[in-house]
Amino acid sequence: MKAFEWVSPKSLSEAVQMLKSAPAGEDADDAARAIAGGQDLLTTMKDYITRPTRVVNLKSIRGLDRIEGDGRKGLTIGALVTLAELEEHTEVRRSFPGLAEAAHSIATQQIRNLGTVGGNLCQRPRCWYYRLEEVVCLKKGGSECYAATGENKYNAIFGGGPSYIVHPSDLAPMLVALGASVSVTGSTATRTIPLDKFFTLPSEGNIRRENVLQNDELITQIRVPASGFAVHSTYLKFKERESLDFALSSVAAAIEMGPDKTIKQARIVLGGVAPIPWRVPKAEGFLTGKSLNQEVLSEAGRLALEGASPLEKNAYKVPLTQALVRRALMKASGLSA
Amino acid sequence: MQQQPQPQQPAPAKKKRKIRVPKVVNGVETMVEIEVDDEGGPQWGANDKHTLLNHRLTRVDGPLKVSGAAAYTYDRRVQGMLHGRVLRSPHAHARVLRIDASAARAIPGVKAIVGATNEDVVEGSNRAADEAEKRDRVEMGDAQTPKKKEREVRFAGEPIAAVAATTPEIAEDAIRAIKVTYERLPHVVRAEDAVKEGAPLVYPEGNLEEKEKRGDAQKVLAALEKSDIVLEAEYRTPILHHSCLETHGHVVDYRGTEATVYASTQGTFTIPGDAAKELGLKESAVTAIVEHMGGGFGSKFGIGIEGMMACQLAKQAGAPVKLMLTRRDEFALAGNRSGSWQKLKAGVGRDGRVLALYATQYQLGGLGDGSQAGQPYIYSVEQVYRERISIHTHEDSSRAMRAPGHPQAGFAMDSLMDELAYKMGIDPVEFRKKNLKDTVYHRQLDRGAREIGWERRNKTPGAGGLGPLRRGMGCAIGTWGGGGGPQCQVDVTVARDGTVVVAVGTQDLGTGTRTYTRAIVAEELGLQINQVTERIGSSKLGAANSSGGSTTSASLAPAVKDAAVNARLSMAGKLSGLLGGAKPEEIRFAQGRVLGGGKSLAWKQACASLPSAGITAHGEWKASLAGRGVHGVCFAEVEVDTETGHVRPIKMVHVQDIGLPLNRTGVESQINGGMIQSLGMALWEGRVMDARLGLQLNPGFGDYKLPGSLEMPELVPIIDDEDKREAVIGVGEPAIIPAVGALVNAIFNACGVRVRELPATPDKILMGLLKERRTV
Amino acid sequence: MADEHEKDAERRDGGGHNPSRRRFLKGVGVAGAGAALADHLLLKPETKAAQKEQGGRALSGTVNIALNVNGQKRNATVEPRTTLLNALRDHLEPAVTGPKLVCDAGTCGACTVLMEGKAVYSCLVLAVDAVGKHVTTVEGLGSPQDLSAVQAAFVEHDALMCGFCTPGFVTTISAYLKKNPNPTLEEVREACKGNFCRCGTYPRVFEAALAAARKGGSKA
Repeated sequence: MKAFEWVSPKSLSEAVQMLKSAPAGEDADDAARAIAGGQDLLTTMKDYITRPTRVVNLKSIRGLDRIEGDGRKGLTIGALVTLAELEEHTEVRRSFPGLAEAAHSIATQQIRNLGTVGGNLCQRPRCWYYRLEEVVCLKKGGSECYAATGENKYNAIFGGGPSYIVHPSDLAPMLVALGASVSVTGSTATRTIPLDKFFTLPSEGNIRRENVLQNDELITQIRVPASGFAVHSTYLKFKERESLDFALSSVAAAIEMGPDKTIKQARIVLGGVAPIPWRVPKAEGFLTGKSLNQEVLSEAGRLALEGASPLEKNAYKVPLTQALVRRALMKASGLSA
Repeated sequence: MQQQPQPQQPAPAKKKRKIRVPKVVNGVETMVEIEVDDEGGPQWGANDKHTLLNHRLTRVDGPLKVSGAAAYTYDRRVQGMLHGRVLRSPHAHARVLRIDASAARAIPGVKAIVGATNEDVVEGSNRAADEAEKRDRVEMGDAQTPKKKEREVRFAGEPIAAVAATTPEIAEDAIRAIKVTYERLPHVVRAEDAVKEGAPLVYPEGNLEEKEKRGDAQKVLAALEKSDIVLEAEYRTPILHHSCLETHGHVVDYRGTEATVYASTQGTFTIPGDAAKELGLKESAVTAIVEHMGGGFGSKFGIGIEGMMACQLAKQAGAPVKLMLTRRDEFALAGNRSGSWQKLKAGVGRDGRVLALYATQYQLGGLGDGSQAGQPYIYSVEQVYRERISIHTHEDSSRAMRAPGHPQAGFAMDSLMDELAYKMGIDPVEFRKKNLKDTVYHRQLDRGAREIGWERRNKTPGAGGLGPLRRGMGCAIGTWGGGGGPQCQVDVTVARDGTVVVAVGTQDLGTGTRTYTRAIVAEELGLQINQVTERIGSSKLGAANSSGGSTTSASLAPAVKDAAVNARLSMAGKLSGLLGGAKPEEIRFAQGRVLGGGKSLAWKQACASLPSAGITAHGEWKASLAGRGVHGVCFAEVEVDTETGHVRPIKMVHVQDIGLPLNRTGVESQINGGMIQSLGMALWEGRVMDARLGLQLNPGFGDYKLPGSLEMPELVPIIDDEDKREAVIGVGEPAIIPAVGALVNAIFNACGVRVRELPATPDKILMGLLKERRTV
Repeated sequence: MADEHEKDAERRDGGGHNPSRRRFLKGVGVAGAGAALADHLLLKPETKAAQKEQGGRALSGTVNIALNVNGQKRNATVEPRTTLLNALRDHLEPAVTGPKLVCDAGTCGACTVLMEGKAVYSCLVLAVDAVGKHVTTVEGLGSPQDLSAVQAAFVEHDALMCGFCTPGFVTTISAYLKKNPNPTLEEVREACKGNFCRCGTYPRVFEAALAAARKGGSKA
């Protein structure tokens, strides 16, 4: 880890100021970084993928570590709420079960005890080319995405190009499915961004980042609206190694059932398959008004993966994700445990 | 080495006989002939008559290890100690034009900088000035200057230089401040690329190196012609990493005229000579200490390049240096299990006998040769032709890893046998028995089949179970030589206060050496295990062999037993007077008492009657107490999710003969450990290289996936007590061999997908299922 | 191979960034910054460079901190980048070496300690961030002469071989049993999924955890 200066602001405005005033490094990855749980940031610093000259400790700021609201009013989750707090929160478990499941699916107890909701959304990609210090890939200011033609078993089947990372967050697909938005504070303004506009594809945003945040902007809270489908939400994560792994593929699903046992509204967001949480509106639209049976499930799975363009070594993600979509829909609708 | 009093009989001139014993160098065993006394020698007695051995013993160093009190090499800190770090090459193949450490030298707290080899000139290091006098230097940026002995790096991660600084943080800064100028050269890191015409050469002689050719190819081809069923298949296993949790490294406590080297090693006595050479000391001036060590699995013999650099740093700085490899270093340069690529073609007759096998076995050891047991592994085949060839790549050299060459060969052979059995429509267990001459395997296969419930298995692969979850079972077999040799020198002391100490310089890798060493002495003297203490892990104690090739217990236990017997007889001789003049060999030591001549002394009482110095007895290896050659079988049951390709191991059973189990608990733990490492090999582990970059993509525990708690099946380790040999045999290696084959065969039985390239990850299984149209 | 990645490869030489360029910032640009750390966390910048010349309370260079380890106040001189694990092992005198440095990346669990009673990877905590928090290492749970219930169960059930992962398992399971004193086997497996063992002791670790629970869990 490169030496850095450690500062602990007491307010958001101070924090933003400290991020803004830090001397610009030679490279985007030398810029100041905010730290909360540090469970991802420190790993990138140890591997010299990020080399901040200043680290701004957010935990000294009060008031960002609360979960408020309920199933009727919606939830407000402070950015510093830990993943363990989120998964164990009674109201989250009751009214937003998919969110508790997504939180629980993350890494290990040790990491969830410190890792925060804000940090989880802002974590950096796991692509092994990106994580190797020696490889100066596209995400690090280099000229090429080595995964495109290299060992791309874990990479994107949707939304890839010119970089083929997948977004590693488990909360993100679930929160997108639940229609969440994030509040962001920066040096110029405070804004609210729907989460599905928060993440950026490599082809449309700054390729060095995975979201719209400027370097001096911070997520302060996440707002999850009340909805008819939150209570029927679920998150399925498929890992190569159950004990500790990132998703090869995951599905966040939420369903609102109509009175006639048909689907009033469905949300399906895929994780681990694209540089951003991947919404599949076609499959969602197809499900409206349907009652679930094997045929409908299969078609929903097929539609969800329509347009996937696998790389040389990740074609398996298509049938895998189709299976997860079917299972997630079954689970969200209460047809399976 | 004092000679102990012998029993009364006049000793006749001893007859000698020649025996073959394993000698382990760097974890690889070769057989050598030695001469031993041709006499009965001491005996263990029947395996079921022991009071401590062959029982369940509690690991004696457990309390230290569970409370953080056990001092590993990594935990050592000595006065004034500096912290070392290694700079590695980022290129798989390159010429090192210049190493400029001036900026590193300027960082406050940096105390020493050395090149990785004696040829390296590191500008800015203390040594550079001296070196400059002696040799031509490669001038900065002047490629025209005639270069002398330019250094070439041949794998990504090859050490370039090392530094020592006052804190680990500063050491890390320092290696990053070293500027290295490379001239990149073409590399090849994949076997299939290395065999291509025009591939970059790893060695001037070429990338292929023939290791063995055996059998008559023509006869095999003829036999294949005559076979009823012929099957041809290629099997591949990737390079694996030992993944010792304690990385390789040393604390070199250099004090000018002498040094103590704390080492994380499998061979206490492999350290002083190596270290002395680097430090410019006499070997006797260097003491190696190995109190506890955090895993070796075949990768830790000698001080290695990291130890050499630690010594040079210590010498240069004139201060103690701790240099433990980082995890990244460990993946890059601390060895690995060679990969394999095996092309097998076999023919079977109508009666289910394998008639012919044509085997081309490539061993993928990077710069090294790799290792692979010759085919057919264990099974008897009438006509065999095999060739073993090393394919070299720009990767670090493989090292011995737990049962070198066996899991690779076993996986391929037992996969092939399984494929043949299904093709023939014969029960895979019965098919194996038809082709196994050694009936121990028949017994063990029957036992394993019973334990796993073999009769419940699918008769048709892929047919078991409802819905997407399919269960299946498989089996495989293994063998290992092991055995012991005459290196250990053991001393047992009994003091007048009743304390008993057994001392020998050996090391405990977590295999339970400390525990059985105590137990052997305690049993011989009729004591409880906690009445004996052991002193091990120092090169100043009696010599001992390295722990490689499952030779530790078969080498050490006999010497400990011999010392204990001698201690008993010596003590008995001293106590004879108090015990009615009973002959020493008639005096019994049992349940904390010494009994003879109708009298009985409590242990304390007996010891109090010893001479003031107590007694010391010496022991050496006795061929009569050691054995070699073991059999093992593993059965596995798995559940495959046919919609996701996920494999859940349900149950694994391993049956293992081992002669006399010194500590049943310890043996079972080791068998469990073998099964688990084999499980890792089967389902998750494998080095992934990028062909273009020449770099390993998964050099950490996030992406190199060891099995964890949620991967664990029910594990059933079974000691095969039908083995009545009253002899000690090691169990480290054999436990890892058969499970990998059993698991892959179980996957086939469960879902009909034959995985011929490890690890059997969901992507392969799912794509395999798609191919077979067995999925939705 | 005269493609673009040659250029990227050149950038690999010398290991990426050059630390000789490192800056200690000397309080630059933190005017108006609050003083949260220094106020209550017993922190005293050692170097002038780190002092609040311009009103900032930035910590850089080396700093003296006091950690609360196993109920004792322990002083250490660290850098902001020093992890809690390295502070315990390398910067305290005497050292606390129960927590092991194995992966240094939050992927193995051998460095697990309890911070405010919760299991955390001490390799993923900065020492400056642990100031003011109660840190318990495996040494704080029991000693060889006075083992905790979990530790004793590990010994009894042979839940260790080389022992290098053991302190991490012991702390993880001790914390878990406090939360859930009567776990099922499945819950134990889930609880220690962030701890990895290479010798293969898992089945006996599970047995030990369940046995310790039956005996009343962790006394620590």
